[in-house]
Amino acid sequence: MIAREERVPRSLRRFAVPIGIALLAYVILVPLTSTDTAQQAGLPLLADKLWFRIATTVAMFVVMASAWNIIGGLTGYASFGNVAFFGLGAYTVGVLVSSRSWPFPLALILAPVTASLFALIVGIPLLRLRGHYFAVATLGIGVAVGEVVNNLAPLGASTGLFLPIVRSDLLFFYLMLGAAAVAVLSTWLILRTRFGYGLLAIRENEEAAKIIGVNTNLYKVAAFCIAAALTGLAGGIFAQWNSFINQENVFAISDNVQMILMAVVGGAGTVLGPVAGAISLELIIQTLAGGGSKAVYSQIGLGVLLAVCVIFIPRGVIDFFGGQSRLSLQYLRQTLRETSA
Amino acid sequence: MSQFTQQVILGLLLGGVYVAVALGFSLVWGILNIVNLAHGALVIVGSYITWDLFTRWHIDPFLSLPIDALVLFVIGYALQRGVINRVIRAPLLFTFLLTFGINLIIVSLLLLIFTADFRSVTPSYSGNGLHLGSVTIPYIRFGGLVVAFLLAGALWAILNRTRIGAAILAVGADRDAAQLVGIDLRHMYALTFGIGAAFAGVAGGIISTFQSITPTAGDPYTLQAFAVVILGGLGRVSATVLGGLTFGLIEILGQSAPGLGSGYANAIAFVVLVIVLVVRPRGLLGRLA
Repeated sequence: MIAREERVPRSLRRFAVPIGIALLAYVILVPLTSTDTAQQAGLPLLADKLWFRIATTVAMFVVMASAWNIIGGLTGYASFGNVAFFGLGAYTVGVLVSSRSWPFPLALILAPVTASLFALIVGIPLLRLRGHYFAVATLGIGVAVGEVVNNLAPLGASTGLFLPIVRSDLLFFYLMLGAAAVAVLSTWLILRTRFGYGLLAIRENEEAAKIIGVNTNLYKVAAFCIAAALTGLAGGIFAQWNSFINQENVFAISDNVQMILMAVVGGAGTVLGPVAGAISLELIIQTLAGGGSKAVYSQIGLGVLLAVCVIFIPRGVIDFFGGQSRLSLQYLRQTLRETSA
Repeated sequence: MSQFTQQVILGLLLGGVYVAVALGFSLVWGILNIVNLAHGALVIVGSYITWDLFTRWHIDPFLSLPIDALVLFVIGYALQRGVINRVIRAPLLFTFLLTFGINLIIVSLLLLIFTADFRSVTPSYSGNGLHLGSVTIPYIRFGGLVVAFLLAGALWAILNRTRIGAAILAVGADRDAAQLVGIDLRHMYALTFGIGAAFAGVAGGIISTFQSITPTAGDPYTLQAFAVVILGGLGRVSATVLGGLTFGLIEILGQSAPGLGSGYANAIAFVVLVIVLVVRPRGLLGRLA
């Protein structure tokens, strides 16, 4: 899984950097055209309701994919239970705002705290497991937490929780964008510290990492907690944004698979890979999902996409966009030969 | 007391279903090192075949089990040979994601073909049972348990008494060495997956006799198969049988505990799973890894 240091060649950087800045400026400025002042000034409306919904969802998956990347991509522990952190964050905000009538900002601060506390408790025993065992134990955690929440009356049981509606597309978009920025910056920072090198060492060879003096248990649990905090933050924002949460929309295992897929397709273990993966995949999913009978075809499309990506570009698209390799027929043939029987 | 006896019997009968579901899953995991997230979907394909044969030609569900096995064997062989073999040497996350994708595709295709309506197979004897005093044993569930034991016996015989079984075990023990002695790896992988799928199909046939079927009904069975294999231990047929029966018992008895209900079935299962993973990672009867 194969993430190497990102060395972008100068020729590519000449294009990538301006395009990146332009994209960032676009997502920051375009929503402003929806404000009353901009409308009165006669600016064209570039961001309608649908734009906000899609853009906020994309930002949300950027957070989740980047967070997953910290434990799955950098540390090499493929967690299938990160959605539990999302759900816990959402329910923290849900309960505090709807039943205790806390103000939303205060409740939102507690969302990552709850999620990472939970990660600490389950992480200490579970991070002793490896490979399939860790993957499915975390999958079990995701399912089990969702089921318990679904049965507890104070948490709305199977009806779910309704939060007072806050109508502000702008607010939630910027909140989610901010969370995405925090997630990406954290990954970037982690990779530049001793902690980050420790995580990479654990991924490459845990025994060796231990021998050279990495406190592997502490590092793994810390990475798990950071991932949980970020995911919980996204969950907390989602709860107020959607103003309705239940087991199905915040504990969906398919969301967990989606975040992994995004990180892997983009390039697990890199800073920008999960971002690229989340943006491109979520846009594809949103385009395919026309609702109704079309939803089935979008599922099939997602399945096929999953298979194709896993078979042909296991290192993620960042591998050739980042200048490590060139996308060619030979590249596809080589990755196929590396892994097939 | 008799209520407790009834619970134990129901637990063992449910455990039989888990044994049937987990046998193929355990084989594929043990030999190919693939945790097949599409296992539940293959189970449900078997259920739909049984349902289709029953509603169309009134074939008894237990008689259609060999047909389930045959069809699923072909599907499984083709899947492994055509698709999964391509990533068999990749890190496990990739086989995980690939089988999840296959699961998604199968479930969606089932949704297109059979719609999301609940389907059930109701042979004339489906409500009957054997009454022993105050304890009742439903015939259908008992038939399922018998089939599960037959499956376990068959798998044991294939692995330990045939040349193909020896080759499969050799591949599981050491791929490179197996190839050196002339075993065709690609064929053996496909054969193993095919057998696993065939067992899943039979399990699906059994399931259709007591549970309404929808395209997504298989997903819990994938998780439960995993839990059974963890509980029993990997690499032995007897471990899967013990794991399945224990798991069925835990689930039924756990649900009747005060304060818990049927809504907690998965949560109970996974708490048990996590405890076993942490305390005794090789399971009740598993070999040392």
